[in-house]
Amino acid sequence: MMLDSLDLMILSTGALVAVSGAMLGTFLVLRGQAMSGDAISHAIVLGIVLAWMLTGARAGPVVVLGAALAGMAAVLLAQALSRSGLMGQDAATGLVFPAMFALGVLLINLNARNLHLDIDTVLLGEIGFVWLDTVTIFGLEWPVAGVTLAVVGLLNAGFLLIFWKEQKIAAFDSGLAAALGFRPHVMGLGLLALTAVTAVASFDAVGVVLFLAFLIVPAVTGQLVAASVGGIMVLAMLSGVVSVGAGYAAALTWDVSIGGAMAVATAGGLVLALVLSPRSGVVAALIRRRAIRLEALVATLLTHLAAHENTPRQAEECSTGALVEHLGWEKGAAQTVVLAALDRGVIARANEELALTEAGRALARAAAARTDRRRLFAAQRGDG
Amino acid sequence: MPDLHEPQFACHVEDLTVSYRERPVLWDIDLDIPPGVMAAIVGPNGAGKSTLIKAVLGLVTPVAGHVRVFGLPVTQARRRIAYVPQRQSVDWDFPATVRDVVLMGLYGQVGWFRRPGRAHKARATAALEQVGMQDYANRPISQLSGGQQQRVFIARALVQEADLLFLDEPMAGVDAVTEAAIVALLKAQRDAGRTVVVVHHDLQTVDRYFDWLVMLNQRIIAQGPVAQVYTEDNLRSAYGGQLALIGSLGNAGDAASTPTATAGAGAQDA
Amino acid sequence: MLNPTLITVILAASMIGALAGVLGSFLVLRGQSLLGDVISHAALPGVVGGFLASGGRGFVAILAGALISGALAGLVVQLLRRGAGVKADAALGTVLSLFFAAGVVLLSVAQLRSGAAGLTVFLFGQAASVLRADLMPMALVAGLVLGGVVLLWKEFHLISFDREAAQAQGLPVSLLETVLTVLIAVAIVLGLALAGVVLMVAMLIAPAVAARQWVRGLMPMVLLAAVFGILAGAAGAVISAQGHGVATGPVMVLCATALTAVSLLLAPERGIVARWTRQRRARRSLHGRQVLAALQGLSQAHDDPSYASAEGMLNAYLGASSQPVLDRLKGRGFIRQAAKMEPELGKDRRWELTDAGVLHLENKDETQ
Repeated sequence: MMLDSLDLMILSTGALVAVSGAMLGTFLVLRGQAMSGDAISHAIVLGIVLAWMLTGARAGPVVVLGAALAGMAAVLLAQALSRSGLMGQDAATGLVFPAMFALGVLLINLNARNLHLDIDTVLLGEIGFVWLDTVTIFGLEWPVAGVTLAVVGLLNAGFLLIFWKEQKIAAFDSGLAAALGFRPHVMGLGLLALTAVTAVASFDAVGVVLFLAFLIVPAVTGQLVAASVGGIMVLAMLSGVVSVGAGYAAALTWDVSIGGAMAVATAGGLVLALVLSPRSGVVAALIRRRAIRLEALVATLLTHLAAHENTPRQAEECSTGALVEHLGWEKGAAQTVVLAALDRGVIARANEELALTEAGRALARAAAARTDRRRLFAAQRGDG
Repeated sequence: MPDLHEPQFACHVEDLTVSYRERPVLWDIDLDIPPGVMAAIVGPNGAGKSTLIKAVLGLVTPVAGHVRVFGLPVTQARRRIAYVPQRQSVDWDFPATVRDVVLMGLYGQVGWFRRPGRAHKARATAALEQVGMQDYANRPISQLSGGQQQRVFIARALVQEADLLFLDEPMAGVDAVTEAAIVALLKAQRDAGRTVVVVHHDLQTVDRYFDWLVMLNQRIIAQGPVAQVYTEDNLRSAYGGQLALIGSLGNAGDAASTPTATAGAGAQDA
Repeated sequence: MLNPTLITVILAASMIGALAGVLGSFLVLRGQSLLGDVISHAALPGVVGGFLASGGRGFVAILAGALISGALAGLVVQLLRRGAGVKADAALGTVLSLFFAAGVVLLSVAQLRSGAAGLTVFLFGQAASVLRADLMPMALVAGLVLGGVVLLWKEFHLISFDREAAQAQGLPVSLLETVLTVLIAVAIVLGLALAGVVLMVAMLIAPAVAARQWVRGLMPMVLLAAVFGILAGAAGAVISAQGHGVATGPVMVLCATALTAVSLLLAPERGIVARWTRQRRARRSLHGRQVLAALQGLSQAHDDPSYASAEGMLNAYLGASSQPVLDRLKGRGFIRQAAKMEPELGKDRRWELTDAGVLHLENKDETQ
């Protein structure tokens, strides 16, 4: 296996970010905690710097732990501030994480000589350089960032597999979850902790803010299409991984930031979902609108036929031709409406003549009654 | 095995006090609900009715008092309790089917780490049949009407086959047909020997639906059989001058001084 | 010490701080703090786009680009929410990360051109990036924005506090909200060179939250937030100028946050210290006699002479923690602790009067 191939290293590292992001992001989005991911992503910078100041290490488990703690501290502090009643949850979040991030950046600035941490890298990452830092396992070279992400990915997968229904019920109905003894609060904390750890593991690869794209956008994409939590997660993983590949290809073609291109590529899946989603998509909405319009036209046809039933001009009025001439419909549209009405069994056709069936008559009567009621209400409102 | 404390009551509450930001929301609650009744908890807005249920279930931490369910602490009696929270406490856009939601009621019996099995799914289907929603089993909950949502919530409680059911305003905002169906379901539970406790929003229907009544306004105003508790004096104590109902109880002839809905001496903020 | 460059920076930072404080107040009151975060991050692609379009460091082009992409981001958030039913937090996070990622991509394109090294200034802000010549246009724009706020003050006030009433009165609420969002975007864009896209949100939020602790009402809050913004901006500019290569943005933010922390602690009434003092005073002013009377009253209300009151309940009744008084009374033998009922909800002690305590209470002329 050519795992020392540059491309494979970059792609696999990116894919690992996408997979972990999708797993955690699905539940974060369902819980309405997407912006907690934003807060965590920024706050861990402080954790990384503090861990370095305490231990001298720029990477490793201590750093991961310290940074994750900082990320969690940000969220918990914001929650505490909000609970105190002094400010809302949004203001608390917008207060805590920028302050922590600012402190982190300042400390990096001040220690620039000793701490080889380029702040730009922290923010933006550079997945193109993951191959610079490798470790040899089983005789093969693996990027350190990739190995870390793989371990974290297994951790996330394990946690969610074990606590799947507990997370689900905590997200849907925390009241019932608590009543059943499932400790939704602890479940929430666990999710945030894993998000923080994953963010730290990702920052070498894609930087803290780009990680956010993989956390949120594929999950939102999945939510627009899928109807189950598992479905959302699978779609999110798919969308994320495809974005990694597409983004990498685009970055190579146009010589732009790889991490940035991968993150932007997640928008592709989102746009696709927005357009095609059967529930909330644009295409679906258009189809629904056409269906509603067709129903209205059928109702008009029935009313027209009922009005002219058993009148001297019945033969003349109750025909397809009359629809074109007297109602002013387009020939093609008239034919569509007639066919639709025939399909529904509300009219019958004998040569050129159209006649209501019993069902059609009943519907016409109901429609007339509705119109009368509406006119009555309108009149009452006008007087009142 | 702890000593059973007041096991003759389905729910025994003593000295329960809940504070929120240093103000008492519930104070000195002494409540005893006998088994096999259908009880209503009523009170004005802000009386602490929902908080009472949550404190009993341990969802809210009180500053004083204790609770026993069938003589046991709640943490040991969870299997025997079912809880139906307010409908709007949940986001109905969540990606789940009707059956998923009902199955969640059984999670407590499935236990940590395990998945619901075929037997659980069969029970969920049976519960759906009880509420008349079996045809909707695979329907996403985002497509349900208010009445249907409430039925699903009730099915989620029924599937647990609990001895004590707590419902928070189950009939608020549902159509008349659904309301009648829910009352019938709950009465059937009561007739089967279970205890039903409902935070009820509509004073007009209390004596028709329930046989036990608790009047609450941060403190217990009165509790007992409906006939004894549902009196003008108690209503006045609980609601202050807020009700047009006071003075109209019993018969229409007793019109007397019927205060309209204005804040009275005992009015509380929501 | 006070060289002209420093004065320029102080003036610019003060202007930005004031503007951010004013517009940020609306964000905080409307619960939209994180929208400020989104618009700030989303300005990055516009900044770089403006640079690329103008072929160099055309300040106007950069700011115009930032404004367009920031405003566009706000629009997309609304579209996602209203059109596709995406929840607020998810829409915000989506737009923030996607626009910022686009900015990162454009940045990598721009970095191949000359003069692009200055663009990373917009990430965290740099005092040196503001030139004397920029001050006048900055002041002009700031003046226009403030003028807009003054002009539409009544309308902004109403839509922030009671949206339904505004609609009922026939105000074009959506239009007004759009105008407000645009003004906020302009304020953000002006501040980007000094605070950077990542940190600008703090300049919007912190002064407003700080001001909220001291005053009530929109006008006082907005004015005080402006003052706090000026203080934070100026202090941040001065302090960061002392160091070498210290970015201005982080220092400004830390100054603003410090101001907020002090306000949260020290403000009268709402402040944390004030709360503690109030609670301590309430606790201190509890007399032993009061507590004894309360205990007796409670046992009478329960028709049970041997009734033991839960301490938590007593505290709720008295409105203060009675623990020190109870310990004192116990030491004097007037009360005793009753047996615990186990297990309890709440970490409670239960107290009942002793015979001595009853006597003490009834003997009103006995000295304490």
